[in-house]
Amino acid sequence: MRHVGAIAGRELRSLFVSPVAYAVLTLFAVLAGFFFLLSIQGFRETMNYYQQIGQFDVLEQINLNNQVIAPFIQVMWIVFLFLIPGITMGLFASEKTNGTQELLMTSPLTMWELVVGKFVAAGAFVTILIAMMGLFPALLFLDADTPILGWIFSGFDLAEPDPEGLQMLAGLLGLWLLGLTYAAVGTFASSLTRNQLVAFFLALALLLILWLLSVVADLGVAEGAMGTAASLSTVLTWLSTSDHFDKLARGLVDTRDLAYFAFMIGAFLVLTKTSVESVRWR
Amino acid sequence: MIEAEGITKRYGDFLAVDDVSFTAQAGEVIGFLGPNGAGKTTTMRILTGFLPATDGSARIAGHDIFNEPLAARRAIGYLPENPPLYPEMDVAGYLEFVTRIKDVPRARRRSAVESAIERCGLKDVHRRVIGSLSKGFRQRVGIAQAIVHDPRVLILDEPTVGLDPIQIREIRSLIAALADPGKSEARTIVLSTHILAEVEAICPRVILINQGRKVVDSSLAELTAEGQSLEDVFARVALRAGEAA
Ligand SMILES: Nc1ncnc2c1ncn2[C@@H]1O[C@H](COP(=O)(O)OP(=O)(O)OP(=O)(O)O)[C@@H](O)[C@H]1O
Ligand SMILES: [Mg+2]
Repeated sequence: MRHVGAIAGRELRSLFVSPVAYAVLTLFAVLAGFFFLLSIQGFRETMNYYQQIGQFDVLEQINLNNQVIAPFIQVMWIVFLFLIPGITMGLFASEKTNGTQELLMTSPLTMWELVVGKFVAAGAFVTILIAMMGLFPALLFLDADTPILGWIFSGFDLAEPDPEGLQMLAGLLGLWLLGLTYAAVGTFASSLTRNQLVAFFLALALLLILWLLSVVADLGVAEGAMGTAASLSTVLTWLSTSDHFDKLARGLVDTRDLAYFAFMIGAFLVLTKTSVESVRWR
Repeated sequence: MIEAEGITKRYGDFLAVDDVSFTAQAGEVIGFLGPNGAGKTTTMRILTGFLPATDGSARIAGHDIFNEPLAARRAIGYLPENPPLYPEMDVAGYLEFVTRIKDVPRARRRSAVESAIERCGLKDVHRRVIGSLSKGFRQRVGIAQAIVHDPRVLILDEPTVGLDPIQIREIRSLIAALADPGKSEARTIVLSTHILAEVEAICPRVILINQGRKVVDSSLAELTAEGQSLEDVFARVALRAGEAA
């Protein structure tokens, strides 16, 4: 695995001289900021509602983790859905158009070093995105009399509650794992074609299918399917990213969900390796 | 250095390379000739391990390319038909990357890059982005990439395409110098080309393939002994094939 660093480092350097990386970073920062404000807005409206109907006991229980941070992290999946395929689309496709696969495949590299190197580069980029968006909820942890908390709670007769740090970190961990899974899927899509645009839409389609599997499973159950279909729907629900991610985003760390993401990443990297190797067996 | 045995490649029903065998010793420079579509590139891709052969085997510096691919590849420098370049990288950064994936020890990387830049006449452009270079300079970077790790076997697919006359002369003398047994370690070089004068200038041995089959394998001196030029030999082989088809 000693060539992984060389492959990943080169990939990242190329990414950061291309406009794609900066377009993605800018778009991501803007969207994260927008969704964060939206979450706060939603929080204020909820509080307003309970204050007006006079349910002060509910109002006391409302907290920033569940009403602001979790919804914010949950909505970011859709941003990842579109941006991560943009990062991964060139990973293998551009090697084919450059003809550089002929260099890589005749160098003393193993296929695993190549695939993992590509994935590590995409994963590093995802990590940068997570660090960037983590800054927004981190604002809530600033001292209680900073403008932001003051603004959120302005107009309410409430003690400003402190958010829970660990719960937020668990949510970010969930989004990070989701991003890594998306990076693995995108890496696979890029290995299937020499056209970056095709790689982008292929990744998007795969990710949507992966997300919607649980919806499909629910439909099957709703139609009153029989025993076999019930077990099929269990499998589909398990395979779908949505439930696993939702739990983590709400701060519930369950090793079964962590295992799910590890499994998905591993599975798509194995698929990528097979696909890259098959180029040789045309 | 190179031992190729019965190399055969099929694309579906089409036989691109048909039972090609040859061996090459250290210090040999072999001109690999043949009309368009003869199977030169395909054979070279098999020798470098980029494509699997349908049949046959090959050893590079004593390592079987299928069973010990990493050791075999470490001994090879390869210039593909289209130089494998990253347009967004600068020349020196690109060559540094190549030394890393070719297992050049860390301490020697910098001097390896500098020497390749020097020998391929890239001094003036080594900080330029590859995508902004002219075709000839990109070809030179391709050659630099093939020699940067000082491989014992060089496989060059049309190395002088797109170069200016002075650079062609320099690359030819570079190739001669790499093969020169007077040096500490002689290299083995296989190069394909359509320029017969190039073969006459630097390749003491000629292998001619046609429609995937090896039809000539002899020294240049023998081939041209009876007063015929290399062009006559080439034309005769190619035309005979044309009649047969
Ligand atoms: N991927 C492929 N699929 C099918 N046929 C192929 C493929 N690659 C090469 N061929 C065929 O194999 C034959 C040999 O091609 P090759 O590129 O080895 O020729 P060449 O001797 O290098 O020719 P040139 O002098 O034009 O470079 C050609 O007829 C070509 O069409
Ligand atoms: Mg060719």
